[in-house]
Amino acid sequence: MSDTATVAPSVRKAGRWVFVSGIVLLCVWTLLPIYLLMVNALSTPEEVNGFPKSFIPSFDLSSLRFFLEFEGVLNALWNSIRVAVVTMILSIGFGAPAGYALSRFDFPGKEVFRFLVVMTRAFPLPLLALPLAVMFLRVGLDDSVLGLALVHTTLALPFAVLITYSLFSGIPFELEEAAFTLGCTRFQAFRKVVLPLAAPGIAASAVFAFVISWNEVFAAAVLTIKNRTLTAFLMQSLDWSPLHLKFAGAAALVLPALIFIFAVRKYLFAMWGIANR
Amino acid sequence: MTSFKTFLGAVSGLALTFGAVSAQAEVLFWSTQAQPVEETQKMRDEVVAGFEPGVDYQAPETGPWLTRAQAELSAGSGAVGILGGLHGDLTAVRGGLSDLGDIDISAIPADLAAFGKLETDQQKYIPWMQATFLMVANKKALDYLPEGADLNALSYDQLIEWSRAMAEGEGSPKFGFPAGPKGLKHRFFQGFLLPSYSGSTVTEFRSAEAEEAWGKFRDLWQYTNPASTNYNFMQEQLVNDEVWLTFDHIARISEAFNSRPDDFVAFPVPSGPKGRGFMTVVAGMGVPETAPDKDEAKALIEYMLKPETQIATLRATNFYPVVAVDLPEDVPASVKASGPAIEAMTSAEDALPVLLPMGMGDLNGQFNQVYVDTFEQIVLAGRDIRPTLEQQAEALRALMNQAEAPCWLPDAPSQGACPVN
Repeated sequence: MSDTATVAPSVRKAGRWVFVSGIVLLCVWTLLPIYLLMVNALSTPEEVNGFPKSFIPSFDLSSLRFFLEFEGVLNALWNSIRVAVVTMILSIGFGAPAGYALSRFDFPGKEVFRFLVVMTRAFPLPLLALPLAVMFLRVGLDDSVLGLALVHTTLALPFAVLITYSLFSGIPFELEEAAFTLGCTRFQAFRKVVLPLAAPGIAASAVFAFVISWNEVFAAAVLTIKNRTLTAFLMQSLDWSPLHLKFAGAAALVLPALIFIFAVRKYLFAMWGIANR
Repeated sequence: MTSFKTFLGAVSGLALTFGAVSAQAEVLFWSTQAQPVEETQKMRDEVVAGFEPGVDYQAPETGPWLTRAQAELSAGSGAVGILGGLHGDLTAVRGGLSDLGDIDISAIPADLAAFGKLETDQQKYIPWMQATFLMVANKKALDYLPEGADLNALSYDQLIEWSRAMAEGEGSPKFGFPAGPKGLKHRFFQGFLLPSYSGSTVTEFRSAEAEEAWGKFRDLWQYTNPASTNYNFMQEQLVNDEVWLTFDHIARISEAFNSRPDDFVAFPVPSGPKGRGFMTVVAGMGVPETAPDKDEAKALIEYMLKPETQIATLRATNFYPVVAVDLPEDVPASVKASGPAIEAMTSAEDALPVLLPMGMGDLNGQFNQVYVDTFEQIVLAGRDIRPTLEQQAEALRALMNQAEAPCWLPDAPSQGACPVN
């Protein structure tokens, strides 16, 4: 009866071959650029500009060292982390309750609210940056971690709301009702039943907020001066720099993000529906 | 718990910032120049480090630079002490620049200093440094130099012939042109190609001579590396041998000389029937009305004009001094190579100096776009030259009338807006 039993071994083998080559292709797709980036970052300027290229780096650290010694890099890295963490907290702090409310309650203006949430992404940041900067200068939020984090939160919030909305919608309300019948208050039911189920997804959308903040350049470049973030600090100068420094700078930007993603990978898998292990 | 701590950290960071803004003595030098990280580093370590109260040199891209400057001006308060930028950058914020008439600029040539007035009766900015454009060739390219051609007195016809010989001899085009998104192609048309043929940037835009110039450039394009539409800084393609012959801003070819001093030669731009058109680029320093401490900012400008600071600036950015200085022996290879070429170009018998666009104000970008569009339509899209020029001349005339900008060199002086014949 089962179809698989009747499939010829040669076809199974071919299917397996397609599967494996698909995986290899995907790995090469993501890993090769990172590998080439690292090779070039670890090569001397002559090797970077030379041809043919070597696939084995010469472990010349001069380009990378330039960045470590570039005034203010560590400070900028620290600022980036602070802004991203505050963004993460704010966007989950506001986004998760909004997502929960959207999925559990019916209230007037719900559709309008959902639309407005997405609308915040409709305006390009270079357009918003000038009025924002003027306002920040007037109220004294200019050049501060909190001020920049507020801007990044507006960017990350729509995603946080929509991700947590679908997350909570995926958890049956009956589970909460069951908890109510056993004497839980609404808050207790949320904390003891819904939250453990939703936690990996919430963490994933937090990671997403972190990454949005980490990658944002324009607002960071306009709104901060002393407290520059790493992207604002490096990215805009990199565009105008010689090739070997571009590679080294790109490595300096990619590495922290890679380490972070690696650290939180299980939550990311959770967002894509792979079982949390 | 951790989240609360972070939040506290953010709040205390905010408090620290407040303290820093009110108590800081450092002058914030907000500049569109010296953006490459190495140059920024040198500006900080070797140029502004000697100024006593301290300088925070920041080199953002033009977009954030302008947004920040405008934001501070409309907020009525700010952190920026000095705005540094090209003539065109500073024109965009001229309404907010304070009068620097009390700074002694007698060491700067009067015609150069006059740029800083920005068509007002006040000294809105003080010239800071200047640069121009040159040709560069890999020494391997010299084998193909047409017979009888003199590097220091090359003509556009010889340049085309040279590029053709190289393309045929090497099997692929070796001439490169900075036509990428950040390349300075518009300057080549405004300040070099068109003046050399028509003796004009604006007035003779659709003349028969201009038509000839575009025809020549189309000829040259056949022997130009087609990847040129991605080239922004020709030093990259020179260093990796993709291009053997090119034209670019001296600060954008310096890396070639500094990394391989023996492999390249710099020489003057070619000449056309009306002369050897070349454009000089001026960068300046202005003090915004919102500067926290104007006197200190002015003191920094005076410091930047000292001959030794100007030489340090040359080393850092490859931009030349605006005051008379004696260059020391140990200047970088790029300066050694470009110095004589600039000298040969500016003192050539057929030299035809071209000024940066003046009086265009906010329309500077659109003014440049006219030349870029013309290039794209004629050379890249292959449209007929005459109708394209007619069409773009309309756009140019509308811009000149809107800006009410009088003619600048090499166009003849005009009453009112510079005409497009």
